[in-house]
Amino acid sequence: MRSPRFPLLVALLLIVAAAAYWYFQSQRARNGETIAVYYTKLDGTSLGSTRVSMRPREPGESTAEHLHNQVLYAAVEAVTGPPNDVKAIRFPPGTHVRTVAIDGSTASVDLSKEIDSQAGGSFGEDGEFKALVYTVTGIQGIDAVQVTVDGSRLETLPGGHLELDQPLRRSDW
Amino acid sequence: MSWISRFVVPIGSLAAAALFAAASATPARADAPITALYQGQSIRFSHVASKDGAPAIGVNDPGFTALLRTTDAVLTWKAGERYVLITTSVPTVVSFAIGDRRYDIGPVVLQAAFAPYQRGNEVYLPFNEVLRGLDLALRDDGAVKVLQPQLASLDVRTSRDRVTLLAHGGAPLHPRVVAQSSSTVTYAFDGVGTALAGTRQINSGGVRSLQVATSGTVRAPVTTVTVTLQSGASVHAPQNNGERDVVLAVTAAKASPQTIAEESPTPEPEPSGTENATSPPDGNATPATGPVAVTGVTAQASDMGATVTIEVSGNASFAWHRLRDPDNRFWVDIKNAQLQGPPIDQAAPSPVVSMRARQVDATTVRVALTLGQPNVVSVTPSANGLQIDVRNDQAPDDAARSGSGSIGTVVSSAEQNAALVTPAPPDNASSDSGGSGDSTWKFGPRSDYVPTNPRLIVIDPGHGGSDSGSEHGGLKEADLALDMAKRLRDILIARGWQVKLTRETDVDVYAPNDSPHDELQARVDVANKAGARLFVSVHANAFINSGPYGTTCYISKPEDVPLARMVEAQLAQDGTKDDGVIKSHLYVTYHTRMPAVLVETAFLTNPSDYALLASAAWRQKVAQEIADGIGQYTRAYPVSGQNAQ
Repeated sequence: MRSPRFPLLVALLLIVAAAAYWYFQSQRARNGETIAVYYTKLDGTSLGSTRVSMRPREPGESTAEHLHNQVLYAAVEAVTGPPNDVKAIRFPPGTHVRTVAIDGSTASVDLSKEIDSQAGGSFGEDGEFKALVYTVTGIQGIDAVQVTVDGSRLETLPGGHLELDQPLRRSDW
Repeated sequence: MSWISRFVVPIGSLAAAALFAAASATPARADAPITALYQGQSIRFSHVASKDGAPAIGVNDPGFTALLRTTDAVLTWKAGERYVLITTSVPTVVSFAIGDRRYDIGPVVLQAAFAPYQRGNEVYLPFNEVLRGLDLALRDDGAVKVLQPQLASLDVRTSRDRVTLLAHGGAPLHPRVVAQSSSTVTYAFDGVGTALAGTRQINSGGVRSLQVATSGTVRAPVTTVTVTLQSGASVHAPQNNGERDVVLAVTAAKASPQTIAEESPTPEPEPSGTENATSPPDGNATPATGPVAVTGVTAQASDMGATVTIEVSGNASFAWHRLRDPDNRFWVDIKNAQLQGPPIDQAAPSPVVSMRARQVDATTVRVALTLGQPNVVSVTPSANGLQIDVRNDQAPDDAARSGSGSIGTVVSSAEQNAALVTPAPPDNASSDSGGSGDSTWKFGPRSDYVPTNPRLIVIDPGHGGSDSGSEHGGLKEADLALDMAKRLRDILIARGWQVKLTRETDVDVYAPNDSPHDELQARVDVANKAGARLFVSVHANAFINSGPYGTTCYISKPEDVPLARMVEAQLAQDGTKDDGVIKSHLYVTYHTRMPAVLVETAFLTNPSDYALLASAAWRQKVAQEIADGIGQYTRAYPVSGQNAQ
């Protein structure tokens, strides 16, 4: 026959475990996750990075939803660029992320049509997409970025140089 | 323990759900529309609610949409997403998350009055916090509500002999000096209010204190910033850095003598950088080898304590150390760095007592802090250097006493090069390459490509026809590229090569107004179908401002590396900066089967580069140097059965 203390012990352990779980969850919520947001420096090739904090995964938020939210945040931050006083290659003014979608390990990032307003030359175009791809592929589970513009897949930007009709990877740089 | 985990997670989830439900228990209540003036126009917000006594705004509200449009802000959210992201015109990302009171304005984490919540297909955001992200505030004088632009931030950057105030506003800032004497200067910012009112002691760099105050009316607010000067300090004229950012600067009478106190009684040990070393926050970080400058060291009070910012001009490694209580000194050594300006020795906001910066040896800059107690300290590389956060909390006894990391570049040129080249040289590649001086680059990998016409080089003048490329000051990239391509052609023909241009006049290679893909593929086809030995595309670069300049060689394939490297080595003498070889996914270099390089000769948008591009003599020089680079390459990498040229 089991000791009458056994249920009490189990209940006590459960309470302690629940309290510990709550504590670690709250700590995690407080600390959050961070992602590196890359930007291309004005030498045209080297990358700098800033870190922005993410929210931890919520109860009820599926893995796919969490990944989508991470990619969206990362892409928006990459296109926005670092603080103004940081010298960086920046996306054309007004460029913003319309939507993102995930297909396997490829993130599709749909940019607004302002991206077409390039200054010309390879310099800006190369630096902008390098920063975007490095940032988004910094998220675990994503290794390629398919860029679309205003909902459409493009071969290159108008008058551009970079091939955009296939996913871009870090290895492209 | 496994039986515990089976119970704990569901119970924990239930507990979390219960807590979440409790936190969300206060129901939101629909409110009457709010009508407010913004820039003289009336905006009606109708999707308005109250939550925990604070206003909420629906993201689909027409007035809110109009406000975002007027302020050049963009909201990103769709049903099913958790984040509601607002990109402001600054640009800064203001991020909200459904169910989370925390919100971020750029790197600053804040707490909202309530967590964003979803009702039907619409998310409701805390209105005051949204407005704060847009550098606005809702003000009410009883008769009218106004969306008042704010003097949103006033960053104070101090050094020993200078104080710089960076003011940022929700409207264009045009400060005017309303009072000035030898001891004070007062600036007025018309049309902006502020929540920054108060006085702050500086006592450094020529400034004793700052006083921020507001006056005027809700509709016509005025914010004043009064700077009380130290004796002999001089005031610089305000400078706009963009419409909404102004720099106010004060210089002290003279720099103080270099009197950095020796760290006593316990000397700081020589940093090893390895003791209990911690990894840099980004595992990819790789310090570069060039010296960097430490351009500023500033300290500011923060919500949690104090933040010390070390501005570093480039890539560097660092190591930090701290002594054991009661000697609560902390220091960080920036390696391979030079301190710009005189040493710093000054008081700092609590819990930091004092802050010092000095050049401890020829290549190391040390920033040392004396703390009030064994406070928690975190060291974080930032975009511009290092951020040291000193919290009011006390660090545990077993807290790390040293660490190290890297600042800046995350992918070094060396890493890129290493990824592109073959580790061991092929046996037959040991001939003289012509002295590129870099054996690592000299022996690039060979592809399986065998040119059917090994004496043919295809030159591609970029753009042309319906696409003129960059245009600046009357010069067109297409014209410049064609001119340089023809000069290069003539030189190569004189050296015995066969040369084909993808275009010989100002035309599209495929068809007028064709797609970019068809146009670029047509250029690739010229080289691939002809079985050419090499492909060289000639361009002129451009950027949105006049800053960048120099020559860059772009490549895509490993076999492009030696060609590009040798061409680049020659172009290094062309009179502008050598920006080296950059790998990218450019269409023409990626899809050509032979070694290829795209040469961006110089920037049309930079005045000195522009002058070079405008010079026929310089264009001839560039053509000569590209030809010389090709010559070096073909001598180093002869095609089997063909004599080197």
